[in-house]
Amino acid sequence: MAFVTSRLAPRRPAALAGDRQMRALALRMALVLALIVVMLFSLGWGAASGIDVPGALAAKAGIGTASLRDMAIVWDIRMPRMVTGALVGAALAVSGTVMQGLFRNPLADPGLVGVSAGAGFGAVAAIVLGGFLPVAVQAATGAALIPLAAFLGGWASTLVLYKIATRGGHTSVATMLLAGIALGALTGAVTGFIVYRASDDQLRDLTFWGMGSVAGATWAKLLAAGPIIVLTLISAPFLARALDALALGEPVANHLGVDVQRMKRLAILSVAASVGACVAITGGIGFVGIVVPHLLRLVQGPVHRLLLPNAAILGAIVVLLADMISRTVVAPAELPIGIVTAVLGGPFFLWILLKNRAILEM
Amino acid sequence: MLEAHSITVTYGSRRVLDRVDFTAKAGEMTAIVGPNGSGKTTLLKAITGEINAGGVTRLDGQNIAKMSPSELATRRAVLPQSGHVAFPFTVLELVRLGLTRGFATSATSGQDTLPHQALARVGLSGFEGRSVQELSGGERQRVQLARVLLQIWEPVLDDMPRWLFLDEPVSALDIGHQLVVMQIAHDFAQMGGGVVAVMHDLNLTAMFADRVTLLDQGRVQGVGTPKEVFTDAHLSACYGCTLRTNTPPPFGGPWILPQAASHHPNHIRASARARHF
Repeated sequence: MAFVTSRLAPRRPAALAGDRQMRALALRMALVLALIVVMLFSLGWGAASGIDVPGALAAKAGIGTASLRDMAIVWDIRMPRMVTGALVGAALAVSGTVMQGLFRNPLADPGLVGVSAGAGFGAVAAIVLGGFLPVAVQAATGAALIPLAAFLGGWASTLVLYKIATRGGHTSVATMLLAGIALGALTGAVTGFIVYRASDDQLRDLTFWGMGSVAGATWAKLLAAGPIIVLTLISAPFLARALDALALGEPVANHLGVDVQRMKRLAILSVAASVGACVAITGGIGFVGIVVPHLLRLVQGPVHRLLLPNAAILGAIVVLLADMISRTVVAPAELPIGIVTAVLGGPFFLWILLKNRAILEM
Repeated sequence: MLEAHSITVTYGSRRVLDRVDFTAKAGEMTAIVGPNGSGKTTLLKAITGEINAGGVTRLDGQNIAKMSPSELATRRAVLPQSGHVAFPFTVLELVRLGLTRGFATSATSGQDTLPHQALARVGLSGFEGRSVQELSGGERQRVQLARVLLQIWEPVLDDMPRWLFLDEPVSALDIGHQLVVMQIAHDFAQMGGGVVAVMHDLNLTAMFADRVTLLDQGRVQGVGTPKEVFTDAHLSACYGCTLRTNTPPPFGGPWILPQAASHHPNHIRASARARHF
C-alpha cells in the first residue's frame, strides 16, 4: 500500500509524455536497415569493377558459383574491411558514449582527451620496440601484442586523465580538455621520438597507420582485436543504469544503489580496451565518439539503456560511410579515413561547443 | 531506529563535527537545525554514508558502513541540496531512476503508474515531457523529490521502516510548495517511515518536526521536541541574534520571531557557552 494515492494521478500514463522509448526503438529499426544497406554498398564499392558481390556471397553459402577473383576480392579484401569498419565504428561510438557518461559531459571523447594518443603510443612502441622483447614474450603474445600495448597505453592515459580532472566527484570540463591536450602532447612527443628511431619500413607503416585507415584490414588483425571489441560492446549495456544515475552526480548515484567506484573502474577499463583495440587495427579515427552520441541524444534523449545500442549501430554506419568517401574522393587512390572523419567531425564539434558554451563556464 | 554515535568529521585541520550523537525514530520526523557552518549537512552526509566519518551509524541495528550501496538504496533515499543534471533527461526519465528495483521485476505493482503518482504528489503532473535542464530551481527540486519518493515508495517494506533523508528540502521553494513538501515528509513518517531533514526555517520545523537536534559549531546544543529546544536563550545563542519564541494559535507550537541582529554574535556565543548549553 502506497502512502499516498493522489486523485490527481492519471490512471494511465498520459500518451507516454516524456517517454522516448518507442522513439528510440523505432529509430533502432531504421538504423539497422540503414546499416544493412551501407554494409552491402561497402562490399560492392571498390577499385575493382564488375564484381558479382551477391554471387560471391551466395557461393560461400553453397548456392551457385562465383569466379575465384570475385571470391577473393569479396571475401579476403572487402569483407574484412567492412567488418572492421563496422566493429570499429560501433566501438568508437560506444566508448564515446560511456566516456561522456563517466565524465558527465557531452564533450568527452577518447580522441579529444588523449586516450587515443595514449593507445597510439602503446601501439607504436609495440611496432618499433616489439622486436626487443624477449622471444618468449613475443611468442606468447603473437599478433595480440599491438592491441595489448594499445590497450595498456589507452588505459593508463584514461586513468591519469580521470585522476587529474575529477576532484571530489566533480569533473571539471576545462581541466579535462586541457589535461587531455597535455597528455596527448606528451604521448605524442614520446611516440614521435620512437618514430624518429624507426626503420624505413616501419616508418611507412606508422605514417599510414597514424592517419587512420581501414584499408589494411585483414582477417588476422581482426582476429586479434575483434574479440576485445565485441566483449566491450556486449558489456556496455550493463553500465547503462549506472551511467544514467551518474548523470545526477556521484553521491546521488551511490544513494541510488550504484557501486560508483566499481562502476568507474569498469567503465574506464572498457573504454581503454575498446579504444586500444580500435587504434591497434585502424589507427586514430577521431570524432565518431562525439558526433554519434550527440546526434542520438538530440533525437531520443540520454537514457543509456536505449542510447548505447543505437550508438553502436550509428557508429558503424558513420565509419562505413566515411570509408566509402575516403575511397571515392581521390580515386583510384585512397584517403586515410581519419582525415575524412576529422573534416566532417571538426566543424560538428565546434557547433556543439557553440551550442553548449555554458558547459565550459563550469 | 537510526542511531549515530560519536560522529566526527575533520576537513583538513578543521573539525566540522565533534563526537556528535544523533538518533531518529521511525514514525517520526526528526529535524537537524543550526546556523550556517554548524555541520548540519555534514552530519546528514555522515549518517547516509556519503562521507567517511569517525563513529558508527546503525540503521535499524545494521552498521551502514557494512551495507552495500544497493542494500542501502532499498532502505533509504536521500534528497541532496541541489543537483546538476549532466544530460537533458525528461522529467519522467529522471523520476524513473528512482525505480531501484529496475524495470525487469514486478516486485512493486504499477511500475508504469508510480512515476506519475510521484509527480502528482509533488504537484508536477503534466511535466513528464519537459526537459529537466529547462526547469526552474524549485521545479527541479520537486522532480528530485519525486525520484527520491519513488525509491522508497512504501514507507514500510517487509516490516522494516524505510528512511527519507532530506537536505534543505524547501530551500528553493515558494511558501505553498514548502507546505506541500513538508506535508509529504510528515505523511511518510505517519505511515511508519523515518524522516530526517536538515532545515533552515525554524517555524516550518516547529510546525512539522516531531523532534529536533540543534547543532552549533559541530556540537549538539540541544535535543528534544521543538518546544523543548526552541527557547529564546538556546536559539539566540546559537544563531547569534535576538529571537523571541511565542506560542500563537492555532497549532500551539513555538513560533519564532526575529527581533534584532546582534552586533556581537561572538559575544553572545561566548556567554552561551559559559552557561553550558
